[in-house]
Amino acid sequence: MTTLRTLFADTSGRSTVTIIAVLAVCAALCTVPFFVHNPYLLHIMILIFLSTIMGESWNILGGYTGQYSVGHAAYFGTGAYATMMMLQFRQVAPWYGVWVGLAAALVVALVIGSICFRLRGPYFVLASIAVAEILRLCTLNLPSFTNGAEGILATGLPPFTIGETVITDFSTKVPFYYIGLALALLTILVTWLVQHSKLGYFFQAIREDQDAAHSLGISLTLYKNIALVISAMLTSLAGSFYAIYVGFVDPPTVMALDISVQIVLICIIGGIGTIFGPVIGALVLVPLSEALRSNLIASLIFKIGLVSPDSKFGGFLNDNLAHAHTLIYGILVVIVILFMPDGILGFLKKLTARRKGGEA
Amino acid sequence: MAILEIKHVSKFFGGLAANADVSFALEQGMIMGLIGPNGAGKTTLFNCITGYYPPSKGEVLFDGRRMNGLQPNKVCKLGMARTWQKVRPLAKLSVLDNVMVGALCRTNSLKIAGELAMEQLKVVRLEQKARFPAGGLPIGERKKLEVARVLATQPKLLLLDEVMGGLNPAESAEIIQLILDIKGRGITQMVIEHDMKAIMRISDRIVVLNSGEKLAEGNPHEVVSNPDVIAAYLGQD
Ligand SMILES: Nc1ncnc2c1ncn2[C@@H]1O[C@H](COP(=O)(O)OP(=O)(O)O)[C@@H](O)[C@H]1O
Ligand SMILES: [Mg+2]
Repeated sequence: MTTLRTLFADTSGRSTVTIIAVLAVCAALCTVPFFVHNPYLLHIMILIFLSTIMGESWNILGGYTGQYSVGHAAYFGTGAYATMMMLQFRQVAPWYGVWVGLAAALVVALVIGSICFRLRGPYFVLASIAVAEILRLCTLNLPSFTNGAEGILATGLPPFTIGETVITDFSTKVPFYYIGLALALLTILVTWLVQHSKLGYFFQAIREDQDAAHSLGISLTLYKNIALVISAMLTSLAGSFYAIYVGFVDPPTVMALDISVQIVLICIIGGIGTIFGPVIGALVLVPLSEALRSNLIASLIFKIGLVSPDSKFGGFLNDNLAHAHTLIYGILVVIVILFMPDGILGFLKKLTARRKGGEA
Repeated sequence: MAILEIKHVSKFFGGLAANADVSFALEQGMIMGLIGPNGAGKTTLFNCITGYYPPSKGEVLFDGRRMNGLQPNKVCKLGMARTWQKVRPLAKLSVLDNVMVGALCRTNSLKIAGELAMEQLKVVRLEQKARFPAGGLPIGERKKLEVARVLATQPKLLLLDEVMGGLNPAESAEIIQLILDIKGRGITQMVIEHDMKAIMRISDRIVVLNSGEKLAEGNPHEVVSNPDVIAAYLGQD
């Protein structure tokens, strides 16, 4: 692992290189909508941004502070519902509704924190799942407040204006692309700031050994809650973004356990407790799950002539591979976890370290 | 002036009295040796003093202030720091980062914390290993790291739990010198140690625990000639 100190002080050269590389990638990403007009491709990019936001947010609590929450759907759903309810029930534009979501996520986080942080290790994990499930059931069973199982459908977004000028009317995917990009950069920036401050040191000390951290003057309650609040509020932003992008929320799509699991996987696959781990996780998982879902694998098998689509087995594959996408996805995830315990980023670092070692 | 007063402290684990009515006081600036056979309740007493758990009975006064019920982080902030018998390095962080975590107890600036931490690493002669991950250190250096890390919290009172355990004679000699240097800086210390020769050499006073009770207290000479202490130690063999 690159320690804080090495990134911060004596290798400022490497740090500068990273910053320049990030800026260059950002600039390139800003120009993408000018030459990519395929809505599906833009959709995939937006999903990658969304996953990055979710992963980076979780990473602050799970990756840096070592508190493995498997209940982040609670904050995602809170952001999504708050924005949507403000939009549909109160006619408040999402860029104001987002703030309601953030405030709600703050409250939910402090309540959940006061319950779950009494527990450590696997008990904390179970409690985080349970509390998120309670929130989902409440959302489902309070139809007068949330519309219950029916969910909320956005009937249209008001155009975004500054003064009299209409900046965008949200008729294409391009504005969502830029919002997603901006939010993803925001979460990366927040993570960078955390890592390069006292907070980052205290979070990681808590992750490595709670009792040692406690005895070194770190208030466990205070710093765990700070990590949770940052993490929850950023996750709620992801939820708000999802809600206005998709235009529909209901408990299974924004509050369910599989969203919590998905968030954790982004980090585990990419590399936990690192700034760019969740980016890698999103870059790998989003295209993978899209490919599996849209049966790209079956068509690929037919294309390279491995199996004929007209044969019995080909027909079977064609009919079932798409349905099996969660299964295949799960198997791939297990393989990555088994062979790259530090995620893809950790694996790549180890490879380069080994190569350097070999040359020396 | 007594910097630490232990008054009738007892700690029960179910039916077991790990500490039973222990009382003694620690004078400013001195080294107090805490000895006793395995399971005598030495580590438990440290845990009670530093807020890891509250004593079942009795009270702990630090600088005249009642400590019962204070969390370990508050205790550390007030100027009392402890090391762990079973060392607890922050494995994935570098050696320097470990000590910086301690230093950040007193400052918000990473720069100042970094300088303070480097100073402490020089004190324990670990500055060469500053960039190494703490998890990869051999036991001798882990023990030194524990000491550097608590020193960085700038304590008035330092509680060292078997920092020489598992070390070779050369490493032990280094630690003994280190403890004497720390005393030279005016920091009061309470030291748990099994090596009788070492404890005799460094301690101004010694408290002997046996089965949770205080068996004897006095200067090193008084303690080794105490018949109860001899019996307890011989009885163990
Ligand atoms: N958390 C605990 N729960 C139950 N028993 C404990 C606990 N901690 C210590 N003990 C018991 O208390 C006694 C004293 O232990 P300890 O303080 O570690 O002794 P020492 O440090 O002198 O070797 C031992 O019998 C030990 O088994
Ligand atoms: Mg002990």
